[in-house]
Amino acid sequence: MINFSFDGKTYQAHKGDTLAAALLRNGIGLVGRSFKYHRPRGIMTAGVEEPNALVTIGDGGRSEPNTRATDVFVYEGLVAKSQNRWPNLSFDIGSVFGLAAPALSAGFYYKTFFGSAKRWMFYEYFIRKAAGLGNAPTKTDPDLFSQRAAFCDVLVVGAGPAGLSAALEAAEAGKRVILVEQDNILGASLIRDGQDRDGAWVESTQARIRAAGGRILTRTTASGYWEHDLVTLTQRIAEPGQTPSHGVAQRLWHVRAGQVILATGSIERPMAFAHNDRPGVMLSQAVRTYVRRFGVVPGKRVVIATNNDDAYKTAYALKAAGAEVVAVLDARPAPAGADSGLPVYNNAVPLSTNGARHCLKSVTARVNGLTQSWDADLIAVSGGFTPVVHLHMQAGGTLDWNDAAQAFVPAASRQNVTTIGGAANPEPVFNVVPVSKPKKSFIDFQNDVTLSDVDLAWAEGYRSVEHLKRYTTLGMATDQGKLSNMAALGRLAEKQGVAIPEAGLTTFRPPYTPVTMGLLAGAGAKDAGAHVRRLALYDVHAAKNPIWQPLGYWFRPRAYPVGSETLAQAAMREAKAVRSNVGMTDVSTLAKFEVSGPDAAAFLEIICATTVGKLAVGRGRYTFMLREDGFVFDDGTVWRLDENRYLLTSSTGGADRMATHISYVRQYLCPHLRVSAINVQEHYAGIAVAGPQAKATLSALIGEEPPRHMSTVPAMIAGVPVIILAASYSGERAFEIYVEASHVGPVWAECEAEVSKQGGALYGLEAMEFLRIEKGHLVVGGEVDGRMTPHDLALDKMLNKAGGYVGASGLSRPALSEAGRRQLVGLEAIEGNIPEGAMLITGEGASPHGHVSAAAFRILDGGSIALGQLTDGFARHGEELIATSPTRGQMARVRVVAPHFYDTAGERYRD
Amino acid sequence: MTDVTITMLPAAPLHALEIWSNPASVATRFKETAGFALPAMGRSDGNDALLLIRYEPTVWLVEGDMSALPGILADDGALTAIGGSVVRVQLSGKGWRTLLMEGGIFDAENPNFASGCSAATIIDHVNVRLHVVDDDTCHAYVPLSYSEAMIHFWKTAALNLTL
Amino acid sequence: MMQFTCPHCGPRDQAEFIYERTVDAVVSLDAAPEEAMKSLFTRNNPRGVDEEIWRHTYGCRAWMVIARNRVTNEISATRAVGPEALP
Repeated sequence: MINFSFDGKTYQAHKGDTLAAALLRNGIGLVGRSFKYHRPRGIMTAGVEEPNALVTIGDGGRSEPNTRATDVFVYEGLVAKSQNRWPNLSFDIGSVFGLAAPALSAGFYYKTFFGSAKRWMFYEYFIRKAAGLGNAPTKTDPDLFSQRAAFCDVLVVGAGPAGLSAALEAAEAGKRVILVEQDNILGASLIRDGQDRDGAWVESTQARIRAAGGRILTRTTASGYWEHDLVTLTQRIAEPGQTPSHGVAQRLWHVRAGQVILATGSIERPMAFAHNDRPGVMLSQAVRTYVRRFGVVPGKRVVIATNNDDAYKTAYALKAAGAEVVAVLDARPAPAGADSGLPVYNNAVPLSTNGARHCLKSVTARVNGLTQSWDADLIAVSGGFTPVVHLHMQAGGTLDWNDAAQAFVPAASRQNVTTIGGAANPEPVFNVVPVSKPKKSFIDFQNDVTLSDVDLAWAEGYRSVEHLKRYTTLGMATDQGKLSNMAALGRLAEKQGVAIPEAGLTTFRPPYTPVTMGLLAGAGAKDAGAHVRRLALYDVHAAKNPIWQPLGYWFRPRAYPVGSETLAQAAMREAKAVRSNVGMTDVSTLAKFEVSGPDAAAFLEIICATTVGKLAVGRGRYTFMLREDGFVFDDGTVWRLDENRYLLTSSTGGADRMATHISYVRQYLCPHLRVSAINVQEHYAGIAVAGPQAKATLSALIGEEPPRHMSTVPAMIAGVPVIILAASYSGERAFEIYVEASHVGPVWAECEAEVSKQGGALYGLEAMEFLRIEKGHLVVGGEVDGRMTPHDLALDKMLNKAGGYVGASGLSRPALSEAGRRQLVGLEAIEGNIPEGAMLITGEGASPHGHVSAAAFRILDGGSIALGQLTDGFARHGEELIATSPTRGQMARVRVVAPHFYDTAGERYRD
Repeated sequence: MTDVTITMLPAAPLHALEIWSNPASVATRFKETAGFALPAMGRSDGNDALLLIRYEPTVWLVEGDMSALPGILADDGALTAIGGSVVRVQLSGKGWRTLLMEGGIFDAENPNFASGCSAATIIDHVNVRLHVVDDDTCHAYVPLSYSEAMIHFWKTAALNLTL
Repeated sequence: MMQFTCPHCGPRDQAEFIYERTVDAVVSLDAAPEEAMKSLFTRNNPRGVDEEIWRHTYGCRAWMVIARNRVTNEISATRAVGPEALP
């Protein structure tokens, strides 16, 4: 015996019970309240199509709302709670006062949304309270989710008789086979209806498939069919709410299959009659499943309503289990076959039921035009069979109409998929047109849509099935119309006076059954989806407890506060150290490419818009790159390390984009060049040392005269070979030290010791930003925002006059270099501090003439300064403007100046 | 239970060998000097001193003694040091194939992906290069910045392989 | 998620590839300005088969041209692009 609880009360289940079976075993008929009208609902099915018996399973972060009681297997300690009721399931205010019913007829949402916003605001509060499913958990899910790929020759979906046979045949033919079954045991219809193949056949088939190398996954649903025969499977390793044994609760499989065989069977249809939604109304095959598989008989006096032969098996099963079958209402006009020994009524359809909250009391039917009633506590209904064509349709397939079965069956597909078994050949049925009152005749139980709602939609002009769906909410929510779509379609076709296939179908979209969001996030669910890229020196920085700054996937130190320093205080102290003494920082993330070969310079003159070929060995220069349309793309430096070997650096943020661009130009546009361009971004860790004492620091480190500005030399630090580039972003004499990342530790330690000996400091990104703004250096993504040409940034004098670079022809368009464009300017505050991102205006109410791209303070002298883009900015130096940021509520009066606030002559670079 | 062990190998001086012209004659020179052929796409080859793994049409990953290679390449290609950007992770034990399916999209369970095979792919959003050493061992070449995350990912996944 | 047959690596998942542009949007290095702008901004965009440039960025890093039907995703041809390479 297994103990579980439902709404706080403890019950016992048998091993192998679904929660639905266990509830029925304990005589619980009322399981939930309906979505809109709060009508009492019980268990209608024995499968994933269950629309009514939705419960919340588990506690805290592990709780899973809207779980179908038919799709969870009871484990020791399972906690289930009913939903959408208050104060409790049996006494629910919403239903007692009938509060919801008059307000929420078909099209309610439509009409409300199209009405005034006020009306929606008024209704929203009540709707949110009254209509709904379970509550989403508010705590973090403690479980892990795994994602795994698999490849196979044949993927078989569904382990009924057809699926098992197909999987066996393929596996024994030597193919890689995966067989998936959403149930926790194999057999599907065989579990219910032994037929000619019994449990032993299932066992031996399973063993043979495994022996032939086939993989069998149970509790696994093929939930999505995507392009090129990719099928996603959702596998439950632990049951909903259950603590998984190794942390992983569910696994999402990506299966790329050579061929997909769908043996997905069919779903039995309900019938539309008044009060067909109360506890005690069940599908016929579900009743049989409870009787035969679980040994639970859900009623003592049973009425059967059918339009086909299959339901007779239910009658026999019930009789064999000791229940009384009081009537078999067969819609067909004449008896089917020999005397069944059952009280069969032909030309008989149910009209209505009577009952209490928890149970059914009687069934009324029309038999040969006359009304007749039976006392009964269960009605088993079979309105025919709907093939499960969801995956076939997701794969882009088409359907045929099978008139005998009154069902759509799979036809052609552009993917390699076939459907076999019951899903391809549903049983013949007799078409029944509903005759009972449409008002309480439910067709979509989950969304509380009745025949009269379809009629109303029709009356209000909604003709297409897609409109009907949106107007009535039919076919939405967790069951996605598995039971309801055909009934609605039948009614719509009847209204249109056409055959069902002409009425159209709604689109089948993944997933087939609901998928937990965490499963889609996979392992990344715990840290927002993406891995953090760590610097080689991560541990060294972390030990100093810096303020971290995410930069793409990277995390870089933003500042290293000392004591109780704020970010701004720490950054200003660090920046001052650079201006007055020496500072060092980690610049490892910069994009770096090593370009070698006889055509290296020629190649770089295609990538870069500046000249490269004239660089002497050991020299470097600033460079920038253009997009094909002539706008600035990125910038960096280029260094000639050797006769035929160059190092190109560019921005961190654009590193991947630049790698792709370089590869495209080299391989697609210039396949004949003798050049090798290798991405060495992560190969080299980088350390920048900057400040008036940088040269002395470097001398001490390398034991020789450091290279002059824009020169490079190889050297040794701490016994490790390094490359020294004398380049400055801060505006001070500065050096970048590049070293193989795996050996950066001792180099950093020695640099830090030397900087410390000089009385200098480490600096982070914030100080670097202050320094470069004051110096007027650009940042890609800031001043270089994709809308600026070299002329706008005053870089045009550096352009390679010979052309030939990417973007040269785009840039030759006259509009890209004309006067009056947005141009780079400096701004200094006359009054107030300049807000970053502010608009630049001439006066109140005026249109913006530009914006502030970066703001800072003069490091040694104080005062608010900024860089910005201003219409016709070059010609407006000296003009006064207002920099206003309404969103920050900040404003400053500014004067337009040249974008260089510090050492405009560039003397500090040089010795 | 886990049947795969994840170990970080020590840093190695790796190089990228790229051929930009006359590949056939480079291949001939290479075979004459090295004693084995430049491996084909998706393959590796080597001896005790030198290992070449092919991941790209024109680029080979070189491990070991590369002193003879500049002479072989002459003006038809170049070597570039890339060892700093890569962390080599050894996946040992029967479970390495299953482990590589976790967060993956490449068919590492295919028996044709055997000793001496190589492939570059994505695992859990990270670009990883694989090299099958033998039935029980696969080496993964992981970008330095993602190596900590990948090793953590693999160690967690290894606990759940058989479920 | 589609599957492409890389000329160098065989069948691989689309996640390893990055889309670049269609072949008719390639701007040659010596294109005149009008021609370059036409390539960039006036493309054919057929409903049906188009020639697309993809890069096996997270695989062999090579470029290829894939003829893909943009309605059905059927791939009718794939050809390698790039410098001469050994098999």
